[in-house]
Amino acid sequence: MGKTIITVDDASTMRKMISFTLKAAGHEILEAGDGVEALTTLKDRSVDLVITDVNMPNMDGITLTRNLRASQLHQKTPIILLTTESSPEKKAEGKAAGATGWVVKPFQQEQLLAVVAKVLGI
Amino acid sequence: MPTNDELQQQLIKDLLIESAEGLDRFDREMLSLEKGEGQPETLNVVFRAIHTIKGTAGCLGLSKVESVAHVGENLLDAVRSGKLSLTQEMIGTLLCYADALREILKCLESTGNEGDKDYSALLQKLQEHQVARTTEATTPEACPAKAETSASPTWGLFDDDPLPVLSPKPESSLPASPPTRTPTAAESGPEREPAMKGPSVSDSAIRVSVDQLDKLMNLVGELVLARNQIVQYSGLIQDNSLIAASQRLNIITTELQEGVMKTRMQPIGNVWTKFPRVVRDVAHELGKKVQLVMQGNETELDRTIIEAIKDPLTHIVRNAIDHGIEMPEARAVAGKPGEGTLLLRAFHEGGQVNIEIMDDGRGMHVAKLKEKAMQKLMITAEQASRMSDREALNLIFLPGFSTAEKITNVSGRGVGMDVVKTNIEKIGGSVDILSEPNSGTTIKIKIPLTLAIIPALVVTSGGERFAIPQVSLLELVRLESDQALKGIQMLSGSPVYRLRGQLLPLCYLNKELEIEAPASSAPQGQSTTAPSSRTSDAVNIVILQADGRQFGLVVDEINDTEEIVVKPLSKQLKGLTCFAGATIMGDGRVALILDVLGLAQHANVINEVRDRSMGDKSKSGSGNTNKQTLLLFDVGKGSRLAIPLSMVARLEEFPRDRIEHSGTHRVVQYRGLILPLIRVADYVTAHGVAEEESPDIIQVVVYSEEGRSVGLVVGSISDIVEEVVNVRRDARGQGILGSAVIQDRITDLLDVSAIIQAADPNFYSQKPALELVA
Amino acid sequence: MSHTKQFCTFFIDGHLFGVEVLKVQEVIRYQEMTRVPLASRTLQGLINLRGQIVTAIDLRRRLELPPRPTHQLPMNVVVRSEEGAVSLLVDEIGDVVEMDDDVYERPPETLRGVSRELVTGVYKLKERLLLILDTEKTVTLQAAPLKGA
Repeated sequence: MGKTIITVDDASTMRKMISFTLKAAGHEILEAGDGVEALTTLKDRSVDLVITDVNMPNMDGITLTRNLRASQLHQKTPIILLTTESSPEKKAEGKAAGATGWVVKPFQQEQLLAVVAKVLGI
Repeated sequence: MPTNDELQQQLIKDLLIESAEGLDRFDREMLSLEKGEGQPETLNVVFRAIHTIKGTAGCLGLSKVESVAHVGENLLDAVRSGKLSLTQEMIGTLLCYADALREILKCLESTGNEGDKDYSALLQKLQEHQVARTTEATTPEACPAKAETSASPTWGLFDDDPLPVLSPKPESSLPASPPTRTPTAAESGPEREPAMKGPSVSDSAIRVSVDQLDKLMNLVGELVLARNQIVQYSGLIQDNSLIAASQRLNIITTELQEGVMKTRMQPIGNVWTKFPRVVRDVAHELGKKVQLVMQGNETELDRTIIEAIKDPLTHIVRNAIDHGIEMPEARAVAGKPGEGTLLLRAFHEGGQVNIEIMDDGRGMHVAKLKEKAMQKLMITAEQASRMSDREALNLIFLPGFSTAEKITNVSGRGVGMDVVKTNIEKIGGSVDILSEPNSGTTIKIKIPLTLAIIPALVVTSGGERFAIPQVSLLELVRLESDQALKGIQMLSGSPVYRLRGQLLPLCYLNKELEIEAPASSAPQGQSTTAPSSRTSDAVNIVILQADGRQFGLVVDEINDTEEIVVKPLSKQLKGLTCFAGATIMGDGRVALILDVLGLAQHANVINEVRDRSMGDKSKSGSGNTNKQTLLLFDVGKGSRLAIPLSMVARLEEFPRDRIEHSGTHRVVQYRGLILPLIRVADYVTAHGVAEEESPDIIQVVVYSEEGRSVGLVVGSISDIVEEVVNVRRDARGQGILGSAVIQDRITDLLDVSAIIQAADPNFYSQKPALELVA
Repeated sequence: MSHTKQFCTFFIDGHLFGVEVLKVQEVIRYQEMTRVPLASRTLQGLINLRGQIVTAIDLRRRLELPPRPTHQLPMNVVVRSEEGAVSLLVDEIGDVVEMDDDVYERPPETLRGVSRELVTGVYKLKERLLLILDTEKTVTLQAAPLKGA
């Protein structure tokens, strides 16, 4: 069954790619160009999953995660961080902020689908 | 749903656009860092530009882009986190590195693959910067961590991780909205600094595809048509509330139209973003110091125009640094600051955009320019002495003219200022130049705001409407039938019209486009002279200019001038050079837009005189029934000769005493040129009769080819006829192609090329002589 | 399980042709056209389709069939192509039919000339053959011959 997923990335190419991959898997996709945009979109609506880049202008992915966790609506929403930094510090920071999982960029479509399936329990 | 392959292609396209923008941003910020003007955020912007390219390229399987980007990303990361400090040398390498990425992306765009150019030397250099400096700073961990990355898992959930459990719960209870910024360690600088330069797309602007805008523009066009119909209808009905409503509709539609038009506009700054880098590179290469000042970045232009002026502007900028601004020492001697200033300025004025490129360099010496032009045999000493300063400055726009003593790597690329001028004129613009020795040179460019909507003259021929872009239009002439008979002459089979002493070749739109004339006028090809086919009507001539030459286009009817929306022709029609596009008229029907240059070439009214004459030969030989327009003349009693009118530039009379001698040639001064004269009688054997020159006045047929002219001295000019010519080749003689019966008389066809060749063997091999721009 | 495809069908000179429904943008009645002088005669003219200028190709000429009687106004089958929308002028519109992949056949050897290039395959219907056109090839004309050039 299709879920609603928001992809947050300042690179539109990346958003399109994620969006296409997940749409093909039957999900509905929202897009946002940075953390601020994502928060605006998610102000009064819930989603099943947030996939966000870490390094973005205006508001990065970790700050976005913190902000989402602080809101009643998104306290439990799974959040996956896309990061080129696979170093333990970044991961720890993400975890501390309340993220659910992480994917290292670049990734293959299958990897993305795998982590999404696991997080959503499908 | 697109297939994976299509998607991949589409994504690569997106990546190319996104990366090009990112690299421009990279350059811009790097340069500000070089000048020491960087903000704390600047390093983040630079890092992110590369970071994004690397990440996206990786996901698209572009391993080369990814791996090259990776090395720079590492270095930048070390700099951004304070492990390294940025040196001037490092900036130089990083700029080369950005070029390398551009190169790979360009290759990807044109060939579909990343190419096999080796960048290892560059990458090594980047790594050396990092190793050398980090060793000093004793932080060894900044070395490329690629191996480690590939060994570690590519994704995971934090619950599964044996990571130290910090706190999965929010540390703070910030309200979710409005979003407030939380300064954290993750952000190494204030990211929303208003001082941040360059467009921040996500702030207040959104990205809309050009396709989308074009669609909107089309819809607005439709709305305009519907509006016109309603306004018309409301006039008939005489219902007050309907009239009021339609007036409102009228106003709103106009505003909407203007609004949508504006969305297609882009600030000229989009082109200029490249210039700091160009200026830096060229100045570095030449050892000069140049400060670039840009004013009016926000001046808006239609995107098609922005595209068209990119190259010409770049060339002018390079030229200004190369030829304009002096070496620092020379500047010091001249009492100027060592650093030269290059000012780019754009502003709107009178519905046009003005762009000025101003340098404070050595300026141009009028005398030097004239000398150069004389050396290159472009002008004579006499012309030089008569030339105004402004005319002299404009010499630089002539093909083959360059003021540099030696061809430099920077500007001597075979592209001259003549090309710059041509390209700007192509989009309906103009270029002017001002220069003052020792204080600098200013180049002024004026261009229209948009190419998408242009003023055009609508004409009708053969029952169809055509739009003629106003930029090519010089004037309209209407000849009543009796005037037409006198005013239009047939000069060697081609109609010409003498407008204030100037001989203009004419072409008939009906004929050129092979469209049926309306029923009212006589069928084509029955009368012997073109004008007489329309004796019953007045003749409408649209005087046009193409490629600096003028000609008259005869049309059935001249309608109005309108603003038209230019739409491109589909691929199936691209081969038709007579049309520049199509547009939708007020009544909803499509009308074609004439390409004036293409039409002129098609009709052979400008240029390609030689091709035409060769074409004519083969046509007449094959018994083709095509008519020719011929100029009939004699070179003495009993002789009767003809040449195609298309070969004739002008007919002139000169007083005999104006003939001068230059070497063995006889010449006259003519329109600022030295015109060599050739006595046709001397070269035509078939006519043994000596030329009986009238004592005072000589008759000259001016023949021009590729900017060079000769005057053919003839006895007298008798007529212009349009005839189906059947040439008899057996009558060939020296200087004669053959003979034909024209108007019941045997007429010899002059072999103009052979005569010129005989009289002046160098005519076809020499460089074109200078034709002064009127 | 066999697959089916839908085709938009139309008549040209008594023959039944079809193009994939997915390729068809819309079908509209006769539109006034602006002729393009000097263009190949296959290219019948330009029409204004809600602000979009669309090139109309006369399928009779394209398929080298006898010209349409002058009193008969053609219909426009507007197809999407790589080049944007192109209108195919046909005599009469038929039904949208759904065909089974199983009955699809290669074009018969008897097809000659230009049809051979443009027809990708046929379906045998009860009464007649349905000839399937390759839209992309159909809208690709040789570079317009420039008369006098």
